[in-house]
Amino acid sequence: MPRPGLFATALILVVHAAARLSAAQGAPPASSAPDLTIVAPAAPGGGWDQTARVMQQVLRESGLAKSVQVVNAAGAAGTIGLARFVSADAGNGNALLVTGLVMVSGIATNNSPVTLADVTPIARLSGEYEVIVVPKGSPYQTLSDLVAAFKANPRAISWGGGSAGGTDEILVRLLADAAGVPRSGVNYIAYSGGGQALAAVLGAHVSAGVSGLGEFAAQLESGDLRALAISAPGRVAPTGHDSAGTGSGRTARGFNASAVPTIREQGLDVVLMNWRGVVAPPGISRAERRSLESLISTMSKSREWQEALTRNGWTDLTLVGDEFGKFITDETRRVVPLVVASGGESKRDWFGTLVLGALIAAVATAGMQRFRQRAMEPAIHATHAPLNRRSLSLVAAAVVLEAALIVPAGFVVASALAFTLVARGFGSRRIALDAAIGFALAAVVYLGFAKGLGVSLPTGPFG
Amino acid sequence: MESLSPLFDGFRVALTPAHLGWSLIGVVLGTAVGVLPGIGPALTVSLLLPVTFSLDPTSAFIMFAGIYYGAMYGGSTTSILLNTPGESATIVTALEGHQMAKAGRGGAALATAAIGSFVAGTLATLGLALLAPPLVKVALLLGPAEYFGLIVVAFAAVTSVLGRSRTRGVVSLTLGLTLGLVGLDPRDGQARLTFGIPYLLDGIDPVIVAVGLFAVGETFFLAARHGLDIDELVPLKGSLWMTREEWKRSWKPWLRGTALGFPLGALPAGGSELPTFLSYGIEKRLTKHPEEFGRGAIEGVAGPEAANNAAAAGTLVPLLTLGLPTSATAAMLLAAFQQYGLRPGPLLFEQEPALVWGVIASLFIGNTLLLVLNLPLVGLWIKMLSVPRPLLYGAILVLASVGAYSVHSSPADLVMLGVIGGIGLALRLGDFPVAPVIIGLLLGPMAEQQFGRAVSVASDSVTQAFARPVAGSLLVVAVLLVAWPMLAATLKRFPLTVRRKP
Repeated sequence: MPRPGLFATALILVVHAAARLSAAQGAPPASSAPDLTIVAPAAPGGGWDQTARVMQQVLRESGLAKSVQVVNAAGAAGTIGLARFVSADAGNGNALLVTGLVMVSGIATNNSPVTLADVTPIARLSGEYEVIVVPKGSPYQTLSDLVAAFKANPRAISWGGGSAGGTDEILVRLLADAAGVPRSGVNYIAYSGGGQALAAVLGAHVSAGVSGLGEFAAQLESGDLRALAISAPGRVAPTGHDSAGTGSGRTARGFNASAVPTIREQGLDVVLMNWRGVVAPPGISRAERRSLESLISTMSKSREWQEALTRNGWTDLTLVGDEFGKFITDETRRVVPLVVASGGESKRDWFGTLVLGALIAAVATAGMQRFRQRAMEPAIHATHAPLNRRSLSLVAAAVVLEAALIVPAGFVVASALAFTLVARGFGSRRIALDAAIGFALAAVVYLGFAKGLGVSLPTGPFG
Repeated sequence: MESLSPLFDGFRVALTPAHLGWSLIGVVLGTAVGVLPGIGPALTVSLLLPVTFSLDPTSAFIMFAGIYYGAMYGGSTTSILLNTPGESATIVTALEGHQMAKAGRGGAALATAAIGSFVAGTLATLGLALLAPPLVKVALLLGPAEYFGLIVVAFAAVTSVLGRSRTRGVVSLTLGLTLGLVGLDPRDGQARLTFGIPYLLDGIDPVIVAVGLFAVGETFFLAARHGLDIDELVPLKGSLWMTREEWKRSWKPWLRGTALGFPLGALPAGGSELPTFLSYGIEKRLTKHPEEFGRGAIEGVAGPEAANNAAAAGTLVPLLTLGLPTSATAAMLLAAFQQYGLRPGPLLFEQEPALVWGVIASLFIGNTLLLVLNLPLVGLWIKMLSVPRPLLYGAILVLASVGAYSVHSSPADLVMLGVIGGIGLALRLGDFPVAPVIIGLLLGPMAEQQFGRAVSVASDSVTQAFARPVAGSLLVVAVLLVAWPMLAATLKRFPLTVRRKP
C-alpha cells in the first residue's frame, strides 16, 4: 500500500510543520546540553506518557537538553519498562524513566524481580490528589456517614474506581485499615479506564466512587456528584488548581475544591497522592547523578513546566535526590502490604475453569467427529492437502527475522529483508528489485510514523 | 438543543476555509491510520496531542473528529481487499467483504461500506445533535447486569451463525476465550495462564491477535498453498459499482446497523465491536439469501459497516454530555479537552457552544468529505488486488509489524504476532473458522468483568444481580436465539405459524 503511506507521510509532515510554526520558538541549547532519552513505561496517552512528552517539550524549548527522545515501553504496571531500563540502560547518565505510585504497587502484585531499589532516584515531579464522591441522590452527606455504614456492613458498600492495585484501590484499602474494617470486607469494584467508573457512580451502580479530582471535576461542577473528601494533607486551592486544571482562565463555576474537607479532618488519618517522578539507571557516576538532579530541578522551576502543570491539572510535588529516595522507601513500606494482602485473598477462578473445561470438551468433540468421519469415509480424508513447505518456511523466516533484527538493525533494514523473503516465498525471482521496493516502503513508513507522528520505531545503526 | 439553530451556527464555524482544511487533513490522516493494522485513532490522537496544543481548540478537535471517522473508513478497506482488518471494529467486515472481493465484487463491497458509513455517520451525528441528553440518561441506568446480558446476546447472535460446523465454531470460540484469560484476573490482580512470562501479564492485545490471525495467518496460509491450487481471485466481475440489486439489498442493513450502532455506542460500556457482531448476526437471520453468507453476502458488509460508524458517533454522546470517555479514542479526546482547560460535561454546551457545535458540524462535513474522497478511490483500491502477490504480501507483513511493534516498543510483540499467525495457519489448515477466536477474545473478558461486577454490586448474590427487568429479558433473548433453530423446526410442522423476527 505505498499510496496511502506516501500520502499520510506528506500530511503528517504538514500537520507538524503547521503546528510547530505557530508554536513559540525554543531557546538555542547550551553547548553542554545533553541528548536525553526518557522512557515512559506505558502506552501513549496515560499520565506517565504525558509526563514524558511534556518533559520532552519543556526541556527542548528551554534549551536545557539538546534533544529528547521519548520511548514507550508499556506493560504490567510499568514493571516491564522498569526491567528493561535497568538492564539496557545501566550506567547511561543520559537516560530517565518515568515512575510513580502505581509502579510501587505493580512491583509487589506482579512479583517483579526488579524493584525501585535497583534504580537511582532523581526527582518526584507532580501528582494528583484523590477524591471520594457519591451520586447526587446518595444518602451519605459526609465521609463519616459513609464510613459508619461501611463499618456496620462492609460488603454492602461498593467502591468503584480504576484497575485493581491502582491508586484508587490503595486509597479504599487505606481507608478500610484506618476505619478498622478487615481487608476481606472491602467490596472494591475495578473498572478499566476512568470513564466506566464515572458512569457507574453517576448511575448509582456503586455506593461511592474514588478517583483523581480531575476525573470527576465536570460532574462535581454540575452538581451530579457530591465530593465527600479529598486525600490531600490540607485544603487545596479554591479554584481546584491542585488538580482540576482550570488553567486557561475557564475557572470552575459552582464547585469550590477548597470546600471539600480532607479525609483527616473527618477523623481518619489517611493522605494519598498519585505521584509521578523520574529515576535514572543504576551504575551512574555521582557527577552524572548530580547533573541530572540539577537539570530536572531547573526544569521544574521553569515557567514552561509550571504552565504545563496547570494545563494538565497536576500539582507540583517537586522533591529532589535522596529525599525522593527516602520517600519511595516509605511509600513502598506503606503500600505493599495493602496490595499484597488484597492479592492474597484470591477468589476461586470459576470463569477460567469454565473456559478451559469448555475448550477441552470442544476439542474432544471435534476430534471424535473427525475420527468417526474418517472411519466412515476413509477415501475423502486419506489424502491430506499438500503443503508448500519451501514457501511457508521462507515467510516464517521473514517473521522471525523481523522480530530478531528490528532492534539491532533498525526497522527499515529488518523490514526490507523481511519483505524480500516474503516476495521470494511467493515466487518472485527479482531479489534486488524486491529489496529496493521493500526498502522504499519501509523508509516511507518510518518517515511517516516514527519521524512524523512520533511512534517509537527503532532506527538501527544507520539512522 | 431543542432547535437546530445552534447546529447552523456550528456550520458557520466549521465551514471556514481553515477549519475545512483541518477537517480534510483529519479524514485523510484517519483513513491512513485506519488502513494500517494496529495503528488506530486513539494512538494517533495521543501522539498528535503535544503538537496540536499550539492550535486553537476548535481546529484541533475538528481534525481529531476527522481522524476518528476516517479511521472507521480506512479499516474497512483493508478488511475487504486483503482480509486484514485495520481496526477491531472492522473484523466482521472482513468475513463477507473479502469473499466479495475474491469473487470480483470488491468494488461493490467498498461502495456499500462507504455509503453505509456515510448514511450511518450522518444519521448518528444527527442523533447526537438531537438526542444526546435523553439518551445518556437512559444509558446511565444500565448497570453491569444489563451489560452482561447484552454481551451474552452478542455471543448467542454470532456463535450460532458462524462457520459451517457448529463444533468447529465452538472450538475456535473457546480458543479465543482461553486467549482472553491470559493476563491478570480483573477482580484480584492474580496472574492467569502467564507461565511466569512478564510480557503476558497485561494479556494478549486483541489488535495483535486480529492482525496475527487475519493478516499474518492468511499470509502463512497462502504461502503454504502457493503454487498448489489455483486461487480464483477475480479482480473485477461486472460493474465496478453497486448494481440495482445490491442497492436493494444494502439500504435496510444500513438503517438497521445505524439503529444498533448508535445507541450501543452511546452506552458507557457498549463499544464499537459489539454492535458489528450483533448486526452481522441479525443480517444473517433476516436475509433472503442465507446461502450467500460466508461466500460474500453484501448485507454482511453493509450492516456491520453502518453499525461501526454509528457507534463512533454514539461514543461522542456520553463524552460531550457527561465527559464520559467510553472508548480509547474518546479517552484521548477527553485528555485533549483537558489540555485546553475545557471540561466536557453538562456545562460544556453552555460554556463553549461554538466549539461543541463546530465539532458536531464538522462531523457532518468530515463524513461528506470521506464519501467524496472514498467513492472515486474505489477503482484505485481495487487495483491493489492486481498488485503482484509477492509485493502485496511483503507489504502486508511490513505494515503489520509497525502496528504490533509500536505499542510496547518490544520485539516480543512481533514474536507474539508470529505465534498467533501460526495458530491462524493451523486453524485454516484444519478448516476451523477464524473469526470466533476474535469474538471470544474480545467479548470473553468483558463478560467476565461485567458478571463479576454485577454480582459484587448485588452484595455477592447471583440471583439478585440478574433479577432486573432489562438484564433478565436480555438473558431470555439470548436463550431464545440459541434455541431458535430447534424452535423454528418445531414450528414449521404447524403450517399456520407466521414467520416472526427473532
